[in-house]
Amino acid sequence: MKRKGLGFYLRIYRKILIQDIKSKMSYRADFIISTIGMIFTNIAGFVSFWILFRNFPSINGWNYYEMLFLYGFSLISLTPVQCFFDNNWSLRTYVYSGDFIKYCFRPINLFFYYQSEVFDIKGLGQLAFGVGTLIYSWNKIGLAVTPLMLLKVILFLITASLVMIALQNAAAATCFWIQNSFYVLDLVLKFKDYAKYPITIFSPVFRFIFTFIMPVAFIAYYPSLVILRPDAVPILSWLSPFIGCLFFWLSYKFWMYSAMKYSGTGS
Amino acid sequence: MKLRKYFSLTRAGIIESLQFRLATVVMIFGNLLYLIVVYFLWKAIFASSGTDMVNGMTFSDTLIYLVLATALFNFMEMYTVWEIGRNIQSGKIVLDLLKPMEYRRYLFWSYSGTFVTQFFFTFLPTFIVVAIVTHGAITFGFNLVFFVISVIMAVAINYSIDFLVGTICLYTESIWGINIMKQVIVLLLSGATIPIAFFPEPLKTIVYYLPFQSIYNAPLTLLLDGNSKPDTTLITLGTQLIWCVVMLVLSKLFWKISLRQITVNGG
Repeated sequence: MKRKGLGFYLRIYRKILIQDIKSKMSYRADFIISTIGMIFTNIAGFVSFWILFRNFPSINGWNYYEMLFLYGFSLISLTPVQCFFDNNWSLRTYVYSGDFIKYCFRPINLFFYYQSEVFDIKGLGQLAFGVGTLIYSWNKIGLAVTPLMLLKVILFLITASLVMIALQNAAAATCFWIQNSFYVLDLVLKFKDYAKYPITIFSPVFRFIFTFIMPVAFIAYYPSLVILRPDAVPILSWLSPFIGCLFFWLSYKFWMYSAMKYSGTGS
Repeated sequence: MKLRKYFSLTRAGIIESLQFRLATVVMIFGNLLYLIVVYFLWKAIFASSGTDMVNGMTFSDTLIYLVLATALFNFMEMYTVWEIGRNIQSGKIVLDLLKPMEYRRYLFWSYSGTFVTQFFFTFLPTFIVVAIVTHGAITFGFNLVFFVISVIMAVAINYSIDFLVGTICLYTESIWGINIMKQVIVLLLSGATIPIAFFPEPLKTIVYYLPFQSIYNAPLTLLLDGNSKPDTTLITLGTQLIWCVVMLVLSKLFWKISLRQITVNGG
């Protein structure tokens, strides 16, 4: 089989996306309520952040605006997983009911086809919220706006987003092995709430765990250091783009390997 | 005689919840992780504040409050909105409405078995561990009695709010958005994520006039306040009682009115 190029996949993605949005729009009330719910979640997250840190000039050497930067960074880097990979949540139902087999019969990449089927527009609200927060804190800290800085931020944001995507892919793929992967997914979902804190508040043991075992520190902390602490950037920060890609590649391999073991339910 | 039929539902619930052991293990692991993050976060906050007492709460007070709030959450969260929403979508609600028991009661009692298992497997162990670890921070006196009374009312208020919100699903047929809004509002304004003592002034007063603080804040402050004045205790319990009655009546009325609305697709 000839390998299909990037242009081919982009064209297909656009076509599937339009269909998905059309079908979402037919449940307009649900769509609007879900969007409001998502905005609520973001506002509540921000309010609790504000209540916690407004009293203190700095936490562990991080001032309020730097904490805000981390928060905004984590919101943005958690957006792609929400927008593009939301179908992972349905994977266990497809596998359980046997409907998953339909994805196996298309002459395009299985992982791509499965994930492309759902685009979650709700995530865009979070993106807007995150960008607003990031710009506000950027101004308050007084960081320079140079093309190089912007390039750095964008590159690190994109690669950081791969970490959460990888975690979710791997968690979703466990449904090929165990019956109910909801709890695994739910557990991983909770990880992303911890991404917004500077990892230095933890004891060394947990610093190690959050860096290497549950790599939440790569979602916001390590990449942010490149922007916030340009004088003392640890090696892990520079490595974080590669780590993001590596994790994504590993999770993709795991997902595909698990899916290949799928033999259907016979129906 | 009358209670027998309810307790048979409780028994069925206990047996049912004991079936899902993996879910419990994953949940306990997730909570442990959450508590670790909470511990380090508040430790950093207290360390940077420079004083032992922030907003009238010491570090161990805050920790007990938040740990027990999590334990209470696991104990009280009944996923009523999901349950009602799913029953509406699948049409199963028709069968439940035919039962010789009010739907509101049926749903509550069929969940009550999980109360029993959650109480013994998560709440009680957490409570004992917290009492031992913080040695002496929890006084054992009348406050325990008040705490128990308060928790019982909190369960009733929480269930009524859940049922009220679940009833909205009859109109919208959207579950996710409604549920997430409810969850976010209740968790933030009840003090489950941040003790209400930390809220800034106008917000704090507003929150005290809302029903949500009766769910987590009221029982936990009663427990932590070893030798409180009788009138503060009375006010707290009285407020809870009022909300208890108000919410019960409201949820009952709203359900009665909404039932005329119901449309069931298949079933």
